[in-house]
Amino acid sequence: MPPEPALRAQGIVKRFRAPAGVPIDVLAGVDLEVRPGELVVVEGPSGSGKSTLLNVLGLLEEPDAGEVWFGGRAVSRLSRSARSRERGRWLGFVFQAFLLLPSLTALDNVLLAARYVGRPDGDVRHRAEMLLERLGVGHRRDHYPAQLSGGEQQRVAFCRAILNDPPLLLADEPTGNLDDDNGAVILAGLRDRAQAGGAVVVVSHRPDAARGATAVLTLAGGRLALRGPSCKEATR
Amino acid sequence: MEAIRKVDGVAGVQPQIMLPLNPSTSQFLTLTQEIVLGVDLSLPMPNRHYATLPVRAGRFLREGDRRRAVVGASFAASRGLGVGSALVLEGERYEVVGVLERMMTAPDRFVIVPIADAREQWVAKDRLLRTLLASGAAALRAEDLNTGAAVGWRDGEDPDAVAHRIREQVPGVNVQIPSELSELLRSSTAFFSALLVGIGTLAFVIGGLSLANTVAAAVFERIRDFGVKRALGATDWQVGREVLGEALAVTLSGGLLGVVLAIALGVSIDRWVQQRGQELFLFSPRLLGGALVFSLALGAAAAAYAALRIVRLSPAEAIRRGSAA
Repeated sequence: MPPEPALRAQGIVKRFRAPAGVPIDVLAGVDLEVRPGELVVVEGPSGSGKSTLLNVLGLLEEPDAGEVWFGGRAVSRLSRSARSRERGRWLGFVFQAFLLLPSLTALDNVLLAARYVGRPDGDVRHRAEMLLERLGVGHRRDHYPAQLSGGEQQRVAFCRAILNDPPLLLADEPTGNLDDDNGAVILAGLRDRAQAGGAVVVVSHRPDAARGATAVLTLAGGRLALRGPSCKEATR
Repeated sequence: MEAIRKVDGVAGVQPQIMLPLNPSTSQFLTLTQEIVLGVDLSLPMPNRHYATLPVRAGRFLREGDRRRAVVGASFAASRGLGVGSALVLEGERYEVVGVLERMMTAPDRFVIVPIADAREQWVAKDRLLRTLLASGAAALRAEDLNTGAAVGWRDGEDPDAVAHRIREQVPGVNVQIPSELSELLRSSTAFFSALLVGIGTLAFVIGGLSLANTVAAAVFERIRDFGVKRALGATDWQVGREVLGEALAVTLSGGLLGVVLAIALGVSIDRWVQQRGQELFLFSPRLLGGALVFSLALGAAAAAYAALRIVRLSPAEAIRRGSAA
């Protein structure tokens, strides 16, 4: 019997309303299941709604319709603070723009992920330092983001995303601002997370992102097209 | 004096002499003028609130004192006078026997001397009076000279009614009706009071808005960071606590700095104006505490507003807005 999906989304609709225009359904009924150990890659043309999908899956935005489940628990209609707690408990994010806090050092940026889930710095400091070493930026732990290259910043951001060992990892164009070498490091890290039992969803343009993926999906016209064993075809 | 004393309702009359220490001072500065006050120590002060003026150091004048003076707090401070100091008035040397407590009103700039000494000073100042007394042409002696008299009224009497009776029954005296005098004082200070209230209100509004704007702007310019923190699991309460903590730290340090600057500026200005026998600022603990509490309350309100605006945005929207800024 296959494990319960770490992430399930059903009938997700996200509509954007221009002040004086026709509403556009960027997501028009998306269904998705991702189980532990799976790496799902979402492709699609620019503006197709890939980032919006990831935001809805990560509870960073509310859907207009549909529901998201983490480990069997419906989470998208919870209160704001409850959604925050679910994010802290379940998710790690890797953003295209890194989104490190400029006022914190690399190490403190990584430790930030533990602050809001009630894990004292002292308990996770060793793991944070170990992750930075493993990603090749241990020697930059006391530097601020402005002192790091793009590749180094994304490695630090990746360490932050996996510090709490989250069951779900969402990556939005994680290699979009990186050269090939740094991009390869991050993609390898994502594959490692899946192999270690994590559920990983990656939005990416890079052809090599699909290497080793459990499923590759295409988002077009607000719907996901099936290209792998783990996702269900959009229902409409 | 006798005629006034006999008027029905009068409890006591004390002859007084008031002389400007420096006659050239403009009338505009009357409220801040230094005054020599001669009091008749053989009679009790007819002031039910101040039977004697409060003395900070030394003693008040006694009957029989001559060439002795009690000085107001500002007068003493401006000249570095203390008990035992010498003070020269109209060429005569006076010994300071007492310094009054600071009263934040006219007596702070008074030099109080026995009335006989004050009469001598008046005669010394006024050549015409001196000539008149020396000539013996008028039935006038130096002991008859008074610039005014303080009149006390019996318990239960209407002071205005007593004043009107004096005006009717004692010809040749200029009677100040108590209620009219109060009104005159009120109206003469009303403009300055309104001016000070206006300046204070303006400072509160401008300072308050600047402070609130600074706190809110400091939060909004990091809207992306707060979006990231919420993506990492920060709840509304955790974000609010961080924003509030930072705002209170900023406003407390700003408030303390403002208080220190205000005290430094106030003390510097006071040192300068004390040379003219004046003091402008009083920094009471309540005022300073109130200023700090005001800045903290305003910072907290601005932080609460900013935090509420931030948590109402979705984390994705906060990151988008912060990245676009």
